[in-house]
Amino acid sequence: MTTPVRHEDRAEVVGGDTDRMWTSRLRRGIFDRLPPDKLLPDEQPAYVCSWIYVFGVLTIAALVVIVASGCVLAFEGPQWYHYSDVGRFFNSLHFWSVQLFFFTMVIHLWGKFWMAAWRGRRIATWVTGAVAFLASIATAFTGYLMQSNFDSQWIAGEAKDGLNSVGVGAWFNALDFGQAMLIHVILLPIVLGLIIVWHVLLVRRRGIAPPLGAAPNSADKAAIKAAEAEPWRGRTRRYDLVKEFVAALTVIGLLTVALSVALSSPDVKAIRLQDWAKAAPSDFVATASAELDGSSGTASYGAPYVDIPGAGQHMGPIRLQEWAGVRIPVNAAQDFVIAPLQTVPNPSADLTNALSAWTSATPDQQVAWASAYTEALGKAPGADPAKVAPGDYGPVPTLTSALLAQADSGALDGALALGSRFYQTDYTKSVLFLADGSYLEDRARAEHLGGDQSGMMNETGSYPGQEWLWLYTFWYQIKPFSDETNPWGANADAIIWTIMAVLSLGLVLLPYIPGLRSIPRWVPVHRLIWRQWYADQERTRTKAEPPAGHS
Amino acid sequence: MSQFILASGLSGPGHYVQLGPVQIAVANLIVIGLMIVVFVLAIILPFPRGRR
Repeated sequence: MTTPVRHEDRAEVVGGDTDRMWTSRLRRGIFDRLPPDKLLPDEQPAYVCSWIYVFGVLTIAALVVIVASGCVLAFEGPQWYHYSDVGRFFNSLHFWSVQLFFFTMVIHLWGKFWMAAWRGRRIATWVTGAVAFLASIATAFTGYLMQSNFDSQWIAGEAKDGLNSVGVGAWFNALDFGQAMLIHVILLPIVLGLIIVWHVLLVRRRGIAPPLGAAPNSADKAAIKAAEAEPWRGRTRRYDLVKEFVAALTVIGLLTVALSVALSSPDVKAIRLQDWAKAAPSDFVATASAELDGSSGTASYGAPYVDIPGAGQHMGPIRLQEWAGVRIPVNAAQDFVIAPLQTVPNPSADLTNALSAWTSATPDQQVAWASAYTEALGKAPGADPAKVAPGDYGPVPTLTSALLAQADSGALDGALALGSRFYQTDYTKSVLFLADGSYLEDRARAEHLGGDQSGMMNETGSYPGQEWLWLYTFWYQIKPFSDETNPWGANADAIIWTIMAVLSLGLVLLPYIPGLRSIPRWVPVHRLIWRQWYADQERTRTKAEPPAGHS
Repeated sequence: MSQFILASGLSGPGHYVQLGPVQIAVANLIVIGLMIVVFVLAIILPFPRGRR
């Protein structure tokens, strides 16, 4: 075995003193702040004596299981985790470890709130923890988007409205599967991992907040703050950090496997345009007609798809959606109907003539034909295209019935998603067209996924969903946001996303907010958490004081 | 085993509770309720004190 040479025992260094070198400074900076006994302690202050303290390490253990199962899913790929039994099992491991991650993290967060754990120069620890919570929500959201099943189709369609309403959708497109996938498996895990490492290092450096009232009794708040920031010099207890982590990992790992084996995970198949055409042909034709006359949801959406001045959500004069501009241009009539029909091999004479009539007509004529047909479809019994009253619809009935046939054959799924490309990961046009009809929403509402059904929080079937979004989904269910006939409801996404941004900022900056930061002092949950320490203090004080009557 | 895994699960129709204007899935309600119960247990159950 080689004995390392100590710095002071070495011969003179050629080139002079090393103390001012960048590397030396960095090493000193790291080890001054985080000496090994702080980084890997074997003792804890005696007051760290409650089960609530284990939820931080349980959260990290759940994150390890998430990353491990996620690595397997990433390596094997989406086809594997949808269509093979073992793949679905690993998908279940990932699903349930995420549930356990949020479960333990929320309890950890509650515990730290009631301990007012930001005291004693520990605000950065709270802030990094709260930011990690928010980054986890973003990571989970992108994970739900890339499930590539019915739930992700619906979530993408709904979430795009929220993202677009605050102008973010122009850059982060919830309908772009490839973008969500890369953000979920690379970008956000790195960001989240770094924040959590930073959070843990701050916990190690600053130590764990002492019990409320542990600082010497003083009216001087500055003196109390200084005392709470001091390293703990009171009694300690043994603490095996590594053993605690291994135990936490074992518990979380076993729970994840047990839940996965017993309950599997949700995976309702995505709806194809072919499914829609077969299940609801009248809705399909009505939607295609609305795309042609410009009255569909997409055609009248505004930014980031269509340039319509004044369209889109806003908060009074603040029009973030419109200001972000048209960055994902969509021409609903051309992209959803005409262009796919132009790819039909060996088109019939009727279709060729209809396409020719449409493309050579003026825009006003096109809208007049399609509007008349859309209106007639609405009046037809059962909205059945075969029962539409005679009228001047131009080539629209031929175009919409040809599109229905194309969808029914399965060819439209490829034509709309791929266009002239071979590879692609962006399903913006497919989902927008699907979401313009009623079929997707009807299916979603049947699964209680509608906006006014706390839908973004729910999962398909009886599975738990994103419980951590309870406050976000709550707003959509109450007036005035649930009533789209008033400006609050019509602009609900923009207003609710702003409310949630403000509340999230409030969570991060809670230690700075007078009143809120004092709640843990007023409601003495901390007396329960640290009751053993308070009892020990009381016993010590009683022993130290002479009995009454003695002098 | 895989047959067992696929046969089981919670893929049946969900159950929902209406609390005034707010609707919540029973599965979500159970998880939130469990969080509260576990939190309360975590602060009231005695923690092993170990050796000083």
